[in-house]
Amino acid sequence: MKLPPPPLPEAERGTSLWADAARRLARNRLALASLAVLAFLVVVAILTPWIAPYGYEEQNLALGATPPSWAHPFGTDIFGRDLLTRVMWGGRVSLAVGFLATAVALTIGVLYGTVAGFFGGRVDAVMMRLVDILYALPFMIFIILLTVVFGRSMLLLFLAIGAVEWLTMARIVRAQVLALRRREFVEAAVALGLTRWQIIRRHLIPNTLGPVIVYATLTIPSVMLLEAFLSFLGLGVQPPRSSWGLLINHGVETMEEYPWLLIFPGLTLTVTLFALNFLGDGLRDALDPRSAKD
Amino acid sequence: MIRFVLSRLLQAVPVLLLVVTATFFLVRLAPGGPFDAERAVPPEVLRALEATYRLDRPIWEQYLAYLGDLLRGELGPSYRYPGRSVEELIAAGLPASAELGFWALLVAVGLGVAAGVVAALRPNSWQDHLPMAAAMVGICVPSFLLGPILVLVFGIWLEWLPVSGWGDLPGDKILPSLTLGAGYAAYIARLARGGMLEVLSEDYIRTARAKGLPEAVVIAKHALRGGLAPVVAFLGPAFAGLLTGSFVVETIFQIPGLGRFFVQAAFNRDYTMIMGTTIFYATLIVAFNLLSDLVAVWLNPRLRDAFGESSR
Repeated sequence: MKLPPPPLPEAERGTSLWADAARRLARNRLALASLAVLAFLVVVAILTPWIAPYGYEEQNLALGATPPSWAHPFGTDIFGRDLLTRVMWGGRVSLAVGFLATAVALTIGVLYGTVAGFFGGRVDAVMMRLVDILYALPFMIFIILLTVVFGRSMLLLFLAIGAVEWLTMARIVRAQVLALRRREFVEAAVALGLTRWQIIRRHLIPNTLGPVIVYATLTIPSVMLLEAFLSFLGLGVQPPRSSWGLLINHGVETMEEYPWLLIFPGLTLTVTLFALNFLGDGLRDALDPRSAKD
Repeated sequence: MIRFVLSRLLQAVPVLLLVVTATFFLVRLAPGGPFDAERAVPPEVLRALEATYRLDRPIWEQYLAYLGDLLRGELGPSYRYPGRSVEELIAAGLPASAELGFWALLVAVGLGVAAGVVAALRPNSWQDHLPMAAAMVGICVPSFLLGPILVLVFGIWLEWLPVSGWGDLPGDKILPSLTLGAGYAAYIARLARGGMLEVLSEDYIRTARAKGLPEAVVIAKHALRGGLAPVVAFLGPAFAGLLTGSFVVETIFQIPGLGRFFVQAAFNRDYTMIMGTTIFYATLIVAFNLLSDLVAVWLNPRLRDAFGESSR
């Protein structure tokens, strides 16, 4: 029979980086409120097919555009479609683009940066020079070019945006890895006979996670903005699909007569962006106390 | 310094070549030819058209010919506006865009630096929190939302300013410039605050104060130069952002500028126009990045070594 290890006395138990960060984050009310708002938005987005008050394409031409009321909290558009329902469905697209494109950027950036930083020398020089060159490209223009050439699809949107946003991630990770690989624990891992890939996966990547999480939180809003920007220009998400950017675009066309069609989608997007930015700032302060604003 | 300038100039060459090459081959990948009209064109006319636009030759020959044209400053004829060349169209749209960009940049730097410096001088007071809260709003309200809201409030409800146009009515340049510049003013305010806070705790500022210099001189002469370095470094990316931002702002306010042309070309699949504008924009951005790097180094000589290291 194996006995569980005796619990450490309270005073000797060290605080891990994560516990420490969580404690600091918990003290930041703004960041916590942002986290709650985001959790709410994500849950609503996931549950939309079941909890949306009306059908997405359910028209009521007799009703037409009506201002907010109890039956339609965000009002209705010129076809009598419930705006709250449409904002909920649009949120699914906007949030999905935000999270998935960030995930794409994260994966490419972390792998690329780790490899460059770990191998160093000439490999690093060539890889980072490529990043420098790509950095100087006007990517927004290229994304527009891509949508023109390949047509407008969601998949392209994910890939194009993800492909743009990985550059900074790669730089951050590379700098981290460069500093980490000279540390004793990596030397110990080498001495123990671990393969390079094992070292990268088990020892280097986990140690870069702090800055990566912070940057990812700040990447999501910029990705969502990019999507909304493209959709606003009519180059992103295509009807009958919807996103917040597209709803804002439609709202602008009729804002003089029906301002609520602009105000509610705009407000939702803004609140989301606020929450993501505050959470990102909060996480940065929590995970990297040195960079905290004084 | 001259070596630094030269090395940066040399770095710009592969970037531009990559832009041209990527643009050229991407556009060639596009499904459908430029002359897929609704009604079928007789084959001999099609052949003549293809010969005019060099489409009948192998692709690498087309590519080299296009590079040659570029070196002579020719961007080719527009597919959608027959008889007009792309460089003519760019020249037609450029003045309005350049002026909009100038005013927006002025708004961004003027408002941003002022807010950031004020905030840094009294950290954690209301003079700090107020501009920084405003900056957060500026970052979270995108231009395509801010523009329509400004139009709604100042143009339609209050009727103070014209809702669209460029140079036709007095004051019609105010709202577009504000819309385009506001977001960048917000970023610049945060950067200026951070930079100033860092510099103000440096020894040489303490020395300047200890010498008995008036506070205004310490700020204006000693602190600003170092404190604004992050702002200057940001100007390159900000310029690129202003260019793309102009697509939206010119569309909202119906300004006959290059940004609107570009978006229309994207809709019309006017391939030569898209290629030409992309290359033109890329060159501008690369040039501006270079300029902002140079100014940053000029402001802070310590950066020279750092740049030398990173470019190796």
